[in-house]
Amino acid sequence: MTLSVELTPPPFDPELGAALPAILEMMPAVLSADLIPAIREGISSNALGSPTDDDLSRDGKFTVEQRQVPGLDGDPDISLLILTPTTATGALGCVYHTHGGGMIIGDNRLGVPDMLDWAEEFGLVVVSVEYRLAPETPHPGPINDCYAGLAWTAEHAAELGYEPGRLIVAGASAGGGLTAALALMARDQGGPALAGQMLICPMLDDRNDTISSRQMAGLGVWDAAANNTGWTALLGAARGGPDVSPYASPARETDLSGLPPTFIDVGSAETFRDEDVAYATRIWQAGGRAELHVWPGGFHGFDGMVPQAALSQEAKAARVRWLHRVLDI
Amino acid sequence: MKDLAVRLAALDADAGAALRVIAYFDSLVEARAGLQPIVRGAAVLADCAARLTDDERRVRIRVTAAGVSAWQDEAPRQEWMSATAGSATLRLERVGPPGPVEAMILERAASAARAVLDRARGRAATADPASAELIVDASAPADVRLQAGRRLGLADSAYAIALPAEIRVLSGPVPDLPGRAGIGPAAAILDLPASWAAARVALRFAAEGTDEDPGPQVVHAAELGSLALLAEVGDQSAAPDVKALEHASAAAPWMLTTLHTTAASISLRAAATALRLHHSTLQDRITHAEQLLGWNVREPRGRLRLQLALALRRLHRHP
Repeated sequence: MTLSVELTPPPFDPELGAALPAILEMMPAVLSADLIPAIREGISSNALGSPTDDDLSRDGKFTVEQRQVPGLDGDPDISLLILTPTTATGALGCVYHTHGGGMIIGDNRLGVPDMLDWAEEFGLVVVSVEYRLAPETPHPGPINDCYAGLAWTAEHAAELGYEPGRLIVAGASAGGGLTAALALMARDQGGPALAGQMLICPMLDDRNDTISSRQMAGLGVWDAAANNTGWTALLGAARGGPDVSPYASPARETDLSGLPPTFIDVGSAETFRDEDVAYATRIWQAGGRAELHVWPGGFHGFDGMVPQAALSQEAKAARVRWLHRVLDI
Repeated sequence: MKDLAVRLAALDADAGAALRVIAYFDSLVEARAGLQPIVRGAAVLADCAARLTDDERRVRIRVTAAGVSAWQDEAPRQEWMSATAGSATLRLERVGPPGPVEAMILERAASAARAVLDRARGRAATADPASAELIVDASAPADVRLQAGRRLGLADSAYAIALPAEIRVLSGPVPDLPGRAGIGPAAAILDLPASWAAARVALRFAAEGTDEDPGPQVVHAAELGSLALLAEVGDQSAAPDVKALEHASAAAPWMLTTLHTTAASISLRAAATALRLHHSTLQDRITHAEQLLGWNVREPRGRLRLQLALALRRLHRHP
C-alpha cells in the first residue's frame, strides 16, 4: 500500500534539534555501500573516534585487557575487550556488550564509556566483542562472533570474577539488534542464562518499511537510506525478502516468549521507533517482561551525542533504574 | 562518543564556533524552548556552570557544565562574565573578560532568555486578569489552568487574593494591597479554585478600616478558623446582636471603633493605648456601650459575643 498523504515527522526536542547540525557535520551520510570505507576512515579521525586504553581505565578504576578467544565452529579468533573493576567490593556482575555502527562501522570500544558508567555503579565486568563487520563479513558472521564471545564469557565467569546469575547483554543501535539476536540464540540453543537484555534504540528489522522509517527519511540520524545500506551490507539481496533469519533481524522472530527481562528505549523521531515499540509489544503479548521508553523528540542515539540535554539525562537515568531492578538481587 | 562542547572547544575562537553558537540559540528560540534549555545551552557551550536570575520575576536557574540543574544559594561573584536580559542577568561562572566565543554565548543566550521571559513571564500577575480568572475556575480544563499558571509566572505553589473587584493569583510574599483584601491559602496550581473561594470568604471579613467599618483591611483565610462558617449563615443583619450593634453605633461616632479595638486587644489597657484614650475614659465608654448593647463585653463570654456580632455585621456589610 502506498500512502498518498505526506507523512509529518514528529518534531525534535528543542535542545536536541539545536545540537543536531553539529552532530550531522561529524556524521557523514551513509547513502551507499561504496562510501563505507571512507566513512570508517572519517570517523576514526574525528571526535566520534574510539576511547583509548587510558580513557577506559578511568584513572585505574578498571583494568583493560584484550583477549583472543575462539570463533564459532572454526571461525577466526575474536577479540574481547575486558574491563574489570579494581576497587569494587562484593559480588560482581557482567555486562556483555555489542557495539553499534549499523553493522558496517565502529569497533568494540564504541559505546563502552556508557557500560563503564554502569560498571562503576553496579560493580560489573564489561566485556565488549570485536565482531567482524559487513559487508566484508555478511550474516551470519557478525552474530556468530558475538555468540562465540558470549559463550566464552559465560563459561569463564569464575575466571572473570563475576557471578553467573548476574550476566546481562546490552548494546545500542546495530549493537541492540545483535543483543536481541543473542538473547534469541541463547534461548534457542541452550546458551547462557541471561539476567536481562538492554536494547538501546535497537536496529531490529531489515524490512525497513515502518511509518517511522518513512516519516524520518532524510531527517535526523540514521535515516531509512542509511538503514537500507546497513541491512543490505549484512544480508545482500536477501534483505527485506522472505528468507531472513531472526538471528540477523530479530523482528523476524515469530515467537518472542521465554526471553530474559528486556529494556527497550528509542526516540520518537527516529527510524527505529515503530519496530522497537512493536518488539516490546510483542514480548508482552508473548507473556514476557519488557520495559519500553519512547523519548519524545529524540533522534537516533541522542543521549550519546548530546549527553547534557535534559532528555538524555532522563534516558540514561531510566536505564540505571532498570539495572537496579535487574541486578539488585 | 564526544559531544558538542568538545566539538566547540576544538573550534575555539574561530568564526565557525560563533556561527555554531548563533545557530544553536536561534534553533532553541525557534522551537520555543524554555529557560532551562537556554541556560543549559550556555553552560554546555561555555563548558562551565551558568545561571540566570531575575528577582522581579522570581526566576533563578543554574545549570552545570554537564547540563545538570543545580541551584546554589551563594551569591554570584562580581568578576564572573555576565550579560543582562531585561531585568534578568545571565552569568557564566568563569572569571575574567569574556573571549569572543564566550561573549557570543552570553549575548545569544541572554537574548533568547529575554524572549522567553517576555513571552512567558513578562506580565505581572495583576496585568493578566483573564489568566487569573481562568486559573481559579474549577470548570476549566486542567491543562488550560496549568498553562494560565505558567503565563502568570507562578511557582508550584500559589495563592489567590480577592479584592473587591479583582482576582489576583501569585506565588511568594503577599504584596502591598490597596484596600480590603482576602488572602486565600497556598495551594497547588490546580487547587487554586479552592484558594480563591477561601479568599472571597476572607474578603467578606475584611473591613474598610473606618469608624463606620472598623477592623483589619487584609484578612488571611487561614487565620479565620471556624469564623469562616459564619459566612454561610443567611442574613446576618437579622441577628439580634447585630441589631444591637447598629443601635449602639447610632449613639456615638466612636462606638464601633471602640468596641472593635476592645474586642481585638489583649487587655483594656492595651485597647486604651491603641485608641489613645485615658484608661478611665475607655472604662466610661464601655460602660455606656454595655448599656446600649445589653451585655457585658469585658467578661470572656460577652467578649466572644461582641466579636461574633462584629464579624456578622462585617459579613452583612460585605455580601
